[in-house]
Amino acid sequence: MVVETKHLTKVFGSMYALNDINFSIKKGEIHGLVGENGAGKSTLIKILTGVYSLTKGEIFVNGEKATIKDPVKSRELGINVIHQDRHLIPSFNGIENIFLGLPYSKKKDKITVDFEAMRRKIDVIMDKYSIEVPLNKMAKELSPPQQTLIEIIRAMLTDCKLLILDEPTAALTDKETIILFDIIKKLNKDGTAILYVTHRMDEIFALTDRITVFRNGELVETVKTKDTTKDDLISAMTDSESENNKNINLVHKNQDFGEVIYSVKNIATKDKVVKDASFSVHKGEILGIFGLGGSGRTELLEAIYGYKKIISGEVIYKGKTLNKLSPRNSIKNRIGLIHEDRRGHSLVINRSIKNNVVLPVIDTYVRNGLYDSKKENNDVNQKMNDLNIKAINNNQKVAQLSGGNQQKVVFAKSLIFNPEVFLCDEPTQAVDVMTRGEIHTLLRNKAKEGKAIVYVTSDLLEMLEIADNILIIANGKTHELIENNNIDSKTILQYCYKER
Amino acid sequence: MTNLKTNKLKEVMYTYGTIIALILIIILFGILNPRAFLSSTNFWNITRQMAILAVIALGATLIMCVSEFDLSVGNIASFSGVLAALLAINGVPFIFSLIIATLLSGILGLINGYIVTKFKVMSFIITLAMGRMIYGLTYWLSGGAIIFNDIPQSFKFIGTAKIGKIPYLTILMVIISLIFIYITKYTAFGRKLYAIGGNERASKVAGVKVEFNKTLAFALSGLMAGFAGVLLASRVGSASPTAGDAYNLNAYATIFIGITLFKEGVPNILGTLVGVAIFTVLANGLTILQVPTFIQNILTGLIIIIAVVGQKVGTSNND
Repeated sequence: MVVETKHLTKVFGSMYALNDINFSIKKGEIHGLVGENGAGKSTLIKILTGVYSLTKGEIFVNGEKATIKDPVKSRELGINVIHQDRHLIPSFNGIENIFLGLPYSKKKDKITVDFEAMRRKIDVIMDKYSIEVPLNKMAKELSPPQQTLIEIIRAMLTDCKLLILDEPTAALTDKETIILFDIIKKLNKDGTAILYVTHRMDEIFALTDRITVFRNGELVETVKTKDTTKDDLISAMTDSESENNKNINLVHKNQDFGEVIYSVKNIATKDKVVKDASFSVHKGEILGIFGLGGSGRTELLEAIYGYKKIISGEVIYKGKTLNKLSPRNSIKNRIGLIHEDRRGHSLVINRSIKNNVVLPVIDTYVRNGLYDSKKENNDVNQKMNDLNIKAINNNQKVAQLSGGNQQKVVFAKSLIFNPEVFLCDEPTQAVDVMTRGEIHTLLRNKAKEGKAIVYVTSDLLEMLEIADNILIIANGKTHELIENNNIDSKTILQYCYKER
Repeated sequence: MTNLKTNKLKEVMYTYGTIIALILIIILFGILNPRAFLSSTNFWNITRQMAILAVIALGATLIMCVSEFDLSVGNIASFSGVLAALLAINGVPFIFSLIIATLLSGILGLINGYIVTKFKVMSFIITLAMGRMIYGLTYWLSGGAIIFNDIPQSFKFIGTAKIGKIPYLTILMVIISLIFIYITKYTAFGRKLYAIGGNERASKVAGVKVEFNKTLAFALSGLMAGFAGVLLASRVGSASPTAGDAYNLNAYATIFIGITLFKEGVPNILGTLVGVAIFTVLANGLTILQVPTFIQNILTGLIIIIAVVGQKVGTSNND
């Protein structure tokens, strides 16, 4: 065994991110790791690479018990990771990036850096695995696959026993993927074990020897690749039993909507994360948008709200094309965005509840040059009351509130301009169960009033709980629209993993 | 128990430390030279000395609110003083010289803000470079010399006149301070500045016109610096292309001292005024005690470092 975990457990607050994981990677194998959003894949990687500490359990590397206290220790043990978003220094060339954190070669005086010697060491690796990448270029001049190659060289320069690849092909073309696979196979033949994490089923079957499935922080099974099928894996990823037990409330769901109030057509963003997205939402409808990590859900909402630049497509609201998309115009049109990133994009964390809530409408309180603090106070207090925000008063800093109450402030900040359309991105992320229920009720009531709601969540069960219809987004493109009627999470995942 | 006491002391020091520092400085000078320092003449004199630094620093406080810098304020003040003096010498009535010089300074600030927000570049270096250009322009205007010949009496009036014992400049400072307190606390504009400084992305998502409001803050900062420049020239009865230089660092020092005044840890008008008071009292007292200028410089620098470090230590205690 290269790496083995015994009873590995990681707890965040009161939530089990990993629960009693017994997992092993054999010498010389390529091991696939699959699971839906939040299944615990990333947490496992972060523990193996020393980013997180473990709560309970043991890790063995080459049969010896190991304490991986930080990333440096992880590398010393021969564990290297290549992330989806590459971690290179943009202004450094290949040689400097590869040797980052490693001792530099020195000339005879023991002081001057010997770049030629470093290059020779790199050349040995590149020849051995037939890797081709320009070393003199700065990282920012390299394409995504070239950057991945730089990281692979960096990993192989040390005695790499386990190479973890986390969604390495996300930004790659098919041809580039084939080249990368060839290199991975060569590394593997040479004795390096590979842990391959991806949402792409075809890659899992093309590359791996064994596959482990995670679900809700637990290890469901480890199987030989040749003994399983895509359908089996998807079944293992979804938990039909607990779904039945949860007895999802379908009563309030309806298909009896008003007219289409908001639709987007063929949206594409400049950075190509969103490539071609279209959908329509009716008055009274909660439209769920579901996609796996990196599918472009967040970027799509940002784009149609006007926060992110689009290069093509249009947004049609109440029968008219919106010609200048900007957050300001969206608010004027009463379209609200609940951003996924609460601290970074929603709240001014060191300001008061009041200051945060009125921010989108602050100009409306100026009457004849005077600021109407009284009306402002009344409005904010009313919203705090409506949403049951627990705070000393409206002058309390939002930083001092609980996660749930902070998220309610985010909602108050939209409700203050009485939106017709709500664009919600992970609105119940990191909030308590109570608040989650309150947010669901709030949105359902808004739908009943005839508002339209677009709801993005990476939690499948939540999606089934709240959405009237579910739209699949994968790889920056919108696909099937599914009526949320007698379907389960397996159905949705099958659409997500469909080959296109 | 002792731990509780030291914690309490820490909290008191953190909440009132800046004010206590000001009082201690006053007591110290009061003891060392009560006759000269504690006289009412000197009191009004100090308030008048405060006025010019205060006007510049209040404008710059707006810039700090949005987490930017305007390092051209000193140069703008020099420019404005020289321009106003030249206009006055050429027969332009004082009030028009004042308005023209101040407005042009506002436009310089506007250019600062436009470049910074339009191209998303660091205000630090842009305003420093603009300051250098403005200095060149001022030098050109003045011919490199200090302008003092032929400046009409009317030009010197506002900087030197008093109502009873109270200098005009003192009254002006009070009025401008009240206006700035109103702007930052009770207008939508002021509230937006704090929101932008607190979280620019969230402000943008909330529909705040980030670039516009930032540019406006730069323009106001330039305007105030220009206004202060004219007041300075009027007070000393001359205009030099380097008259405003010292105000650059001093203005930011007072703002940093002011940030320490309240536990919010953000730039604020009252705080800046306390900072200005500390600075001016110190300079005044040290001069009365005939401490050499180089020692004054050493002390000034030291105080700025203590204020900034103290603020960092204070906020990290809160984590």
